[in-house]
Amino acid sequence: MTLSFPQLLHALLPEASLVLGALIVLAVDLTIGRTQSPVRRIRAAATLGLLAVTMAAWHAINAGAEGSVFGGVLVLDSLTMATRTGVLLLSGLTLALLPGVLRLPHPAEYVATILFATTGFTLMAAAQQLLVAFAALELASLSLYVLAGFDKTRRESAEAALKYFLFGGIAAAFLLFGFSLLYGLTGSIDFMVIAEQLQVQRATPLLVVALVMVLVAFGFKAAAAPFHLWAPDAYQGAPPSSAALIASASKLAGFVLFLRLFWHGLGPAAGSVSTFQGAPGWLPAVAILAGASMLLGNLAALAQWNVRRLLAYSAIAHAGSLLLGVMAARVSGPGPLFYYAATYGLATVGAFGVIAVVDAAGGCHKISDLAGLQRRSPLLAGCLLFFILSLAGIPPLAGFFGKFAVFAAALRINGLAGPLGWLAILAILLSAVALYYYLVILKQALVTPAEPAQTRRIAVPRAAGVTLVLIALFLLLTGLFPSLILRLFRS
Amino acid sequence: MSFGPLQLCLLFSSALFCVGLMGALSRSNAILVLLGIELMLNAANINFIAFWRYGPEPSPATGVIFVIFAIAIAAAEAAVGLALVIAIYRHQRNIRLQEADTLKG
Repeated sequence: MTLSFPQLLHALLPEASLVLGALIVLAVDLTIGRTQSPVRRIRAAATLGLLAVTMAAWHAINAGAEGSVFGGVLVLDSLTMATRTGVLLLSGLTLALLPGVLRLPHPAEYVATILFATTGFTLMAAAQQLLVAFAALELASLSLYVLAGFDKTRRESAEAALKYFLFGGIAAAFLLFGFSLLYGLTGSIDFMVIAEQLQVQRATPLLVVALVMVLVAFGFKAAAAPFHLWAPDAYQGAPPSSAALIASASKLAGFVLFLRLFWHGLGPAAGSVSTFQGAPGWLPAVAILAGASMLLGNLAALAQWNVRRLLAYSAIAHAGSLLLGVMAARVSGPGPLFYYAATYGLATVGAFGVIAVVDAAGGCHKISDLAGLQRRSPLLAGCLLFFILSLAGIPPLAGFFGKFAVFAAALRINGLAGPLGWLAILAILLSAVALYYYLVILKQALVTPAEPAQTRRIAVPRAAGVTLVLIALFLLLTGLFPSLILRLFRS
Repeated sequence: MSFGPLQLCLLFSSALFCVGLMGALSRSNAILVLLGIELMLNAANINFIAFWRYGPEPSPATGVIFVIFAIAIAAAEAAVGLALVIAIYRHQRNIRLQEADTLKG
């Protein structure tokens, strides 16, 4: 085992620039910013935050794919590089949406907390050891709890944050207990050594307990049914830009960590779902989670009248499809899962961005608050069309190809001869259900006229407008040329 | 069936975890729920120490180091949790979770 500190520093430069950026944002706001107007303070904080994210992305791309770093604590491969860049892009877009939209006191603290959360996400993308994985996950989660509760003036925000925190705290305890059992069973916290040990050991009841605990924890974090209860409340109560981060970058980083831990660390205990006789392991359990999430998410979304709750239930449904991608990843590689999670994150940031702008102009809770959006702001309505159609999976937008890649990967393993294939069929059928509730949003935004009290035009802040158009272009570009992303994973 | 010290430690930590989980799920006072979560985290810490102490051979201090990190993280979690409890107290003048029910659907 070789421990090279310069190499470790080189690998952690993205995280270092993010933390440094957060401190600079705070320092500038505390010294120069105090005398400035709120508008200028938030513009300065967001600009500095964006600079830090750009620096981090540059370092993340430059870090290269040199394999295990510092005795296997971190791993730098194509998946790490892609995930770090993707997470930084999603956080950067969330930051760029803030000026003119964020109506909270203490903008610098908000931006700094977003940067800390992003540090957690990028570490999650590179973690290859239980301790780093746990610390990164907690750094990200704790920052997200704070972001969810940042709006101190609204009771819903505090309530959403408390519920998110209590569920997340229980999940963290489950995760730590599961990790402790894995450490006891294998004598190591390194994913690779754990995999080697599990290869030679027989399956013991203790291993089953450990797997169940880790799965429960990841079910919570990914908002997969039946551990999804926090998600609708958190999405509804949190400030829209916090909800955007919870739904996009945190999902992407979480699923990549899930993929690494389960396939690289616990791969020998996977079992099988490619035939109906299947072997026991964690794959059948993940299959149940995936099926339950898709059914519950899509059906419950039909009954929603609050647009944020609707997006939360659709996020639960998407988590089910993403779990399909996790299950198919051994054969097809991480490409489809990454593509799906990244493009889903883009569309979600966009949708919550539109909600944030409408919210700043007079409240956006019910779906009917979007009525007449096409008259009130053609730009927002046009962008929303892109985001919602991408979430629904309509070609040529990226959401369609994401679904296609994941379902094709699931079907390619053993066709319809096993539960995995039938889960993919279920997902395809439920996409039709999903189309209905997505079109309900679009009908309000594009067809229904506004109520007389709400006909005022919405002035879209320039930064938010540019960012939304940029996201829409990203979705179109990656949808037309999916190989731009997928070829990163072709070795 | 005989119990060695490792087995006794694991039984104790499992019992502690269950007590914590029961507390976290059944209490209506937000601070007592927080207490339950801390118990669950500490049960996991006892596991790490026990596995390290009674492990097969003299091994590096992985378990202890993990516990030191976990304690620090649990402290940060408690700080954030108490801040959020204060935030909810400001709005509803108590910390009963039954009354935090404005979000539903």
